[in-house]
Amino acid sequence: MSTFFDPHQHDTLAAAMARIIPTTDTPGATEAGAIDFLESYLAGIDRIYAKPDGSGFEALTGRRADAWRRRVEILRSTYVEGIVDLDRRSADAYGAAFVDLDAKQQDRVLTAIERPGESTALNTAQSVSGYAPVEPALQQASVEISLSFLALLALHTRQGFYADPIYGGNRDRMGWKAIGFPGPSSLAEVHTGRYTVIEYFADGSHEQEMEVTRERAKA
Amino acid sequence: MSAPKPDRTDVCIIGAGASGAAAAKVLTERGFSVVALERGPWRTKETFGGDELANVNRYNLWPDPLLNPRTYREGADQEPVVQMFCPVPQMVGGGTVHWQGWLPRFTPEDFRLHSVVGDLEGTSLVDWPITYDELEPYYTKVEWAFGVSGLAGANAYEGPRSKGYPCPPLPLSRYAQKFHQGTRALGWNAFPTPQAALSRPYNGRPATVISAFAQQHGDPTGTRSSALNVFVPDALATGRYDLRPESYVRELTVDASGRISAAVYQNEAGETFVQEADVFVLACGAVETARLMLLSTSARFPHGLANGSDMLGRNVTFHEYSSAIGLFDDPIYAWAGGGYVSASSMQFYNHDESRGFASGGHIACAGVGIPLPINWGLPDRPLWGPEAKSMDEQFFNHSMAVSMVVHDMPQLSNRVELDQDVVDAWELPVARITLKPHQNDLAMGRFLVDRDADILQAAGAQKIYKVYPDKVTGNCSHQHGTARMGDDPGTSVLDRNCRAHEVDNLFIVDGAPFPTATGANPTLTIMANAWRVAEHIADTRGQKRG
Repeated sequence: MSTFFDPHQHDTLAAAMARIIPTTDTPGATEAGAIDFLESYLAGIDRIYAKPDGSGFEALTGRRADAWRRRVEILRSTYVEGIVDLDRRSADAYGAAFVDLDAKQQDRVLTAIERPGESTALNTAQSVSGYAPVEPALQQASVEISLSFLALLALHTRQGFYADPIYGGNRDRMGWKAIGFPGPSSLAEVHTGRYTVIEYFADGSHEQEMEVTRERAKA
Repeated sequence: MSAPKPDRTDVCIIGAGASGAAAAKVLTERGFSVVALERGPWRTKETFGGDELANVNRYNLWPDPLLNPRTYREGADQEPVVQMFCPVPQMVGGGTVHWQGWLPRFTPEDFRLHSVVGDLEGTSLVDWPITYDELEPYYTKVEWAFGVSGLAGANAYEGPRSKGYPCPPLPLSRYAQKFHQGTRALGWNAFPTPQAALSRPYNGRPATVISAFAQQHGDPTGTRSSALNVFVPDALATGRYDLRPESYVRELTVDASGRISAAVYQNEAGETFVQEADVFVLACGAVETARLMLLSTSARFPHGLANGSDMLGRNVTFHEYSSAIGLFDDPIYAWAGGGYVSASSMQFYNHDESRGFASGGHIACAGVGIPLPINWGLPDRPLWGPEAKSMDEQFFNHSMAVSMVVHDMPQLSNRVELDQDVVDAWELPVARITLKPHQNDLAMGRFLVDRDADILQAAGAQKIYKVYPDKVTGNCSHQHGTARMGDDPGTSVLDRNCRAHEVDNLFIVDGAPFPTATGANPTLTIMANAWRVAEHIADTRGQKRG
């Protein structure tokens, strides 16, 4: 697989992803291969959209391809600059590159980027950027290219953990298993209409509930 | 060298989404030849699938903001910023391609809100020039064309119906049951949300599969009703619908008498064509319709087509969507079925003086955001780290939203114009939105989110978040009001039949004619009104055709 990041950049991003979705008593970004997802995404524009039947990826053409080339370039720049900043902060604080710090030190560096001036990680203040919907609004207004390094990496870690495995992450569907999402075994399952979640949708008592609603409608 | 001219047609419709396709069906079935110019692609159901990353996060169906930017500013004294304000998919079928398809009717009061409320300071609140009763037959026609699933009579605030729903309501989801438990405990009226999904086979299409991928996903099975799989095939079946995708109209030209002579458009290869027609129908969505008219300047209309009154682009409304979120001990799987099935209430929809603000909005059960693994979230989940991961694991299957739609008030200063600096990938100026919410909008939002929370509380939620809307962001993809219909040419762009006061062969059938936003999902009414206007066009031109 072609890659954009050099080995140091790759390892630095993988280390940061391992703090974003850490390995606990359940698998994290490392086990799910989130870095493989990101490498695949930013290698070019050949793996932007999976074909909906899961048989491969769409070939982009025309203005759409132009836009994606531009977007990938912008995202690459955000990462390259972000990694330099991460290492500079790590060197200033601990005299080593980010990838060589221990987990606690890495958390402190990430926290300093997220909330300058705070030294303790992970309070429960409202998250203010990235995917986390401060408002439970629809996502269409979000623009990936305007995100800062950490917000972007958090978004891509999440995507690498939870996107359909065809994109290179969510290995063995472990992200879905961790949260109890019975995703399809392949995109083809949805494409053919075989994929159904009816047993999660309703539990059988809906008939009784619907009867009550019908009675109220008549009243 | 002059641009090629395809054969002249009876009616040229710009846009093949909900309203354009509805109008095309009616006009072609009445014997008129229609050329449809749709700027986006003509995708088929085989190109749709269950891919959260592509559909929600990577602009597979949404417009790409790098190609189709918009700008936004709160007031005329501010610098506009590039922002994806109120996008809608640009393709054959438009927003109906990826919708969940909530299809409530507006209430009779919606059409006469100024009479009910009176003057409201800072707004341009008016009655509609048409009534619920005038539109009712067309509601029924659309519901029966689509096979809408619903329960007639269940919504206590609905106007009189000439006919029930063609399909029974969808089964109650676990999250809908919570909603109904809550509203019943509170003594509030609730009803199954009328929906575009088929609860049983209808017109040759099988019942809709209950998948996790619905809201914001195209339907690969073609069973969820849309303009793409209902109106477009109907129009094509007549042999009189010439649907041209990837055909981007840059300008409407007018002749010496001020009538539209042609639509000038570009195909994907960048070649320019001039399409002549007797009648032109705009169906681009309220923002893009206004933009196209503003782009169409001439000696006769120096400030935009049919804009002698300076009303074009004004009074734009967008709704705003927000929620209370509840966590439950038992699993409710609020992604199942797509997350938006199927419980609603209009208990706080019609005006009630005692609430301290005008009008109200539709409340319904929902998933949290797009309730799929990537895009699900809670307001207090950190951006990263073990706590964020733990919240995903604990609450993904135990959370739901009760959401509401703000009925934002029309204001003259809220408007769509052309941006002076930013152009799209075709080098045309983009739409610039200037919009500041009215205090009525914010008060209504707070009130309705509190009622959302009441429902969750009464349903036994163990924790509740209230997310009050503090601005209008266009997050509903609903847009209305840029070319109001009205009886007074001084304060409206269109007459009661949605014909331009100043251009007698120009009609608009999307949300642009709506004088007010109302508090409900607009697309059923947009399609019903498009059907009405198309019938009017056919009726008034029928003699010519013989």
